Amino acid sequence: MNKVSGARADAHRPSEVLNTLKRLGFGAVVSVPDGWLGEMLVRIEQEPTMRLVRATHEEEALAIACGIRLGGVRTALLVQNAGVLSMGAGMVSLAQRYQFPLLMLVSYRGTPEDPVFYHVPKGRATEPVIEGLGLRYTRTDRERAIGPQVEQAATYAEEASCPFALLLSREDIQW
Amino acid sequence: MVKAARPTRSDYYRALADNLPAEGLVVTSLGNASYLWAALHHAPENFYLEDAMGLALPLALGLAVAQPRRPVIVVEGDGALLMHMGALVTVGAINPKNLTVLLIQNGVHAASGGQALTNAELDLARLARAAGMARADNIDRPDALAARLRASTARDGAEFLALATEPDIEVVKPPVALDPVVTKSRFMAAIGAPRYVPMLFGGGRLEGT
Repeated sequence: MNKVSGARADAHRPSEVLNTLKRLGFGAVVSVPDGWLGEMLVRIEQEPTMRLVRATHEEEALAIACGIRLGGVRTALLVQNAGVLSMGAGMVSLAQRYQFPLLMLVSYRGTPEDPVFYHVPKGRATEPVIEGLGLRYTRTDRERAIGPQVEQAATYAEEASCPFALLLSREDIQW
Repeated sequence: MVKAARPTRSDYYRALADNLPAEGLVVTSLGNASYLWAALHHAPENFYLEDAMGLALPLALGLAVAQPRRPVIVVEGDGALLMHMGALVTVGAINPKNLTVLLIQNGVHAASGGQALTNAELDLARLARAAGMARADNIDRPDALAARLRASTARDGAEFLALATEPDIEVVKPPVALDPVVTKSRFMAAIGAPRYVPMLFGGGRLEGT
């Protein structure tokens, strides 16, 4: 794996993301893969206390996550921002209308530091669409440890009974 | 497959109500799938979707994963299935043995007034088998549905039953308000889902985790 420039040197941030999910009792992750998320999903699949569900589409993944949370298991959704763009109807009519607390860990492609140029249109649309959907969100701060940021996002989702999206940079999630 | 002289949704729902497995949880799709089930068999263990077309099946899959010891029955429509056909693949890949899919195949978008489907003649049981559900059949009689629901043979995967059904266009008035948050809270209380226990400075957990 190439070394990611600009990453904090004090901790391996993807490990911190996974460790935080485990520590907070997340029993399931539902995902549609992305280049940055791929190895993270393999690691999750190897965790004895977590169940990984690989979905075919992000709106479907959202509904599966709602069903798992309905059944009493804390659940995170790991998707690319393309998935946020394509899950809008389910976001408003299911996850938000029924007030499901879901942690969404979103790989934020198409930002200026993303080397893959064709993600740019998605990057430009992501935050306006999120705001249009009324979805609560924040971008990670690369100067702060990632674990507490994941914990705060997860706590917000539960306290406010709604989905909360944490927009992640490459160094946060690419193993 | 859709054939002539099909039973109604009510016919199948009566068979379901009379043969509901012990501890069963029922997820219903939008429109009359939810409204009629609420009218016939309202219970805290029902999760009624309104709108969110195509998402009853994946939601029920998640519920079956989270509650592996309870039978989960989902009533989905053929139009909704076509909208999220990928969910069939995901159900087949996970294949939870506590999940039963009842697919109302009426050949139309009944909840929105009866518009024609893109393809009303699909062999849905064959599609489900191709997706990985070995126990998939097309059914055209309520007594056949009742027999399948009563069958006590051990299962090693999900069951998928496509029910040839007469379209029901007239909207049934549900006997209870289907407030979404009430529906969710009532359901989670009924199954004993763990509550979220907050902590003053974050780090809250679900009970028991």
